[in-house]
Amino acid sequence: MSEKIYACLLKLFPSRFRREYESEALLLFRDRYREERGPMRKLRLCLDLLVDLVAGLPKAYQNSLAAGSSLAPEGHAAPPFQVLESEPLRPGAVLLGTLLSFSAIVCFAWAMGRDIGERLAPVNEPKSPVEMVMQRLNQPMQPEPSAQPATQPEAAAPANSNASAATPSSNGQVQPPAQQDLLQYQQQTSLGRPQQGAMVRASGESGSMSAASRPESAVNASQPGGRVLPASRASSNGVVIATGMRTGESASGVPTAARDAAAAMSQSEPASSISTAQPNVENATHAMVRLMRTHQIVMFGETHGDKQEYEWLCALVKDPAFASQVDDIVVEFGNSLYQKTVDRYIAGGDVPQEQIEKAWRNVIGAVGPVSPVYGWFYKAVREANRQRPSGHQIRLLLGDPYGDWEKIHDAEDLGPFVAHRDAWYAQVVKHEVLAPHHRALLIMGAGHFLRRNGPGLVERAIRDAGVQPYLVVFGTNAVGGYDVLDLRFNKWPTPAIVSLQGNWVGELPANPVLTGGVVAPNAQKMEDVADAMLYVGSRDTLMQVNVPRSDLLDTAYGKEVERRLQIQIGRTMEFTQPLEEPQYHRPLQQVSSNGIHLTPPNPPKSFRDPLPPRPPSQ
Amino acid sequence: MPKRRLDPLPAAAFQILLALADGELHGYAIMRQVEQQTNGRMRLGPGTLYSSIQAMLEDGLIEEVGREGESEASRERRRVYRLTTAGRKLARSEADRLADLLRVARAKKILRGDYV
Repeated sequence: MSEKIYACLLKLFPSRFRREYESEALLLFRDRYREERGPMRKLRLCLDLLVDLVAGLPKAYQNSLAAGSSLAPEGHAAPPFQVLESEPLRPGAVLLGTLLSFSAIVCFAWAMGRDIGERLAPVNEPKSPVEMVMQRLNQPMQPEPSAQPATQPEAAAPANSNASAATPSSNGQVQPPAQQDLLQYQQQTSLGRPQQGAMVRASGESGSMSAASRPESAVNASQPGGRVLPASRASSNGVVIATGMRTGESASGVPTAARDAAAAMSQSEPASSISTAQPNVENATHAMVRLMRTHQIVMFGETHGDKQEYEWLCALVKDPAFASQVDDIVVEFGNSLYQKTVDRYIAGGDVPQEQIEKAWRNVIGAVGPVSPVYGWFYKAVREANRQRPSGHQIRLLLGDPYGDWEKIHDAEDLGPFVAHRDAWYAQVVKHEVLAPHHRALLIMGAGHFLRRNGPGLVERAIRDAGVQPYLVVFGTNAVGGYDVLDLRFNKWPTPAIVSLQGNWVGELPANPVLTGGVVAPNAQKMEDVADAMLYVGSRDTLMQVNVPRSDLLDTAYGKEVERRLQIQIGRTMEFTQPLEEPQYHRPLQQVSSNGIHLTPPNPPKSFRDPLPPRPPSQ
Repeated sequence: MPKRRLDPLPAAAFQILLALADGELHGYAIMRQVEQQTNGRMRLGPGTLYSSIQAMLEDGLIEEVGREGESEASRERRRVYRLTTAGRKLARSEADRLADLLRVARAKKILRGDYV
């Protein structure tokens, strides 16, 4: 070991030691080095010096610290401080300290950015008492029934009570709902898109031109008594409207909507407790891949037929990171009667278009023509599987009841299937996903998943199985009435997913954000109804994709849609909608042109019946 | 209160005290003396030697010879150390302690011979 190397090693000693003894130590090294002759003796010297280094360093630092502590007055317990004036920090030490501090801050920020529940335990494992407390703290607070504000939509409660009534039994059979009414019947018929103007004219009302694009909910909204409206605008606003709107608060009050929002916010919490923290805006695909890693079940509450939303979903399923870890995607827009056909199709089999499209066009919950975006999604899953012929394959599970439209001739035939849509979906999840411990993305209209009065039926079934799902819902930048758009969203890259906990997005009133400003705010906030929000663009850029008129006018499918509409709502419609149109229309005045209020149909008697036996899958 | 560095007295420090018992020595000579008095079992390296010397100087067990008032040029020379009264007292008490231990060991037939 040369003197230079030893001189470098001496740098490891405290500066106080070096100042006093460095030259002495080097001198001693030189003497010994000179004395030790022969390679073996020199090697022994090297070993001695290394051992001495290890043994001497702690002692030297102990001396240095003891000298520092001796500066403290006798008897004082205060920690001693070294005076750096005579011993300035070296640039290397400053640089190292800076790097270490920066690394620590980055690690801390990363750790704090994670959901605390996620890192405590895997979703399926039993939780410790601490984890259970954390889980309870992370759950949105449920308002007391007696403390419901006056503006709380009455529709929300029946929607969930309906769900709770029609739960799958322990033997796997879907039981009849204990109590169903007209509202629930209407809420169940929510997937398709009837044309409200067409219905007005079909009822003998010539109607104004503006009425041709008017949502039926708006047409009926002036009905006295605060009656809840049917969900016939479901394709654009989804079930959200049906589950969240009363006639009294239907979107006629555009100028007052912002005031309503402010009032709702002030009712819910004192201003001082409202979070203004910035959300973590994450690329939607990256966020979903991350969520699928940390959660066995991720629920996505969609808005029906939205172009940008389904373009993102199609891209998502083709993402290798997503496709490699997801076993199943359970969809509302698939009649489970056709599971075998769909299995064949997404496995790359040769299935004629007219056969595969039955899966989404024959959905029980669809009212009117079903948007082509669902066909896009089936195709995307098929392509994703084709890209990975020997890899992990995604299965598309159809969550809509197995009603066969060829055998449904009237509302009584349809009733049991409509009544048990959520329960059947939950049963598919339970048997096909939870039982084999699969990892799945669940897609359903947002109204089925929203935590209006606690978790909905599907989420409860999942939680009952010991799995904690994560809920993402589709939302927009409409934060009050139809004209109240929040400019803060404009800075976001799209598509994006943001967590709703502890930031200003979670504080936004749920109704307008979920319905593009069509439904007025109430006391419920976004963080109450979901865990995260998908944002694909400003409300006015969102487009609804409709079935081309050529597929409906004088076609077998068009005639079949008309027949179904007669069964479902007692009216038919004209197929006049453009191929694409804005997702959310400005809500109009709520009276039909001739003052006749449209009345929704009465629920069939069979609504309380259990589901009939399941026929073989087609 | 900070922990005293030489309580109990480390073996290296005791050996240095013993080495200085015969007179003034500089660092290298101390190292050689220790090696000699331990029959080569203990070879103090510079780190251990000067850390121990530093601690003993600060505790007043040894002192540097001719350090005060010397010129800058002379400081380049080797430093020479000698035992203080306190150091000698501590070395004696440590030797007594070890002798007691040996007596006990002999009484318990663990150690044989009469050289203690």
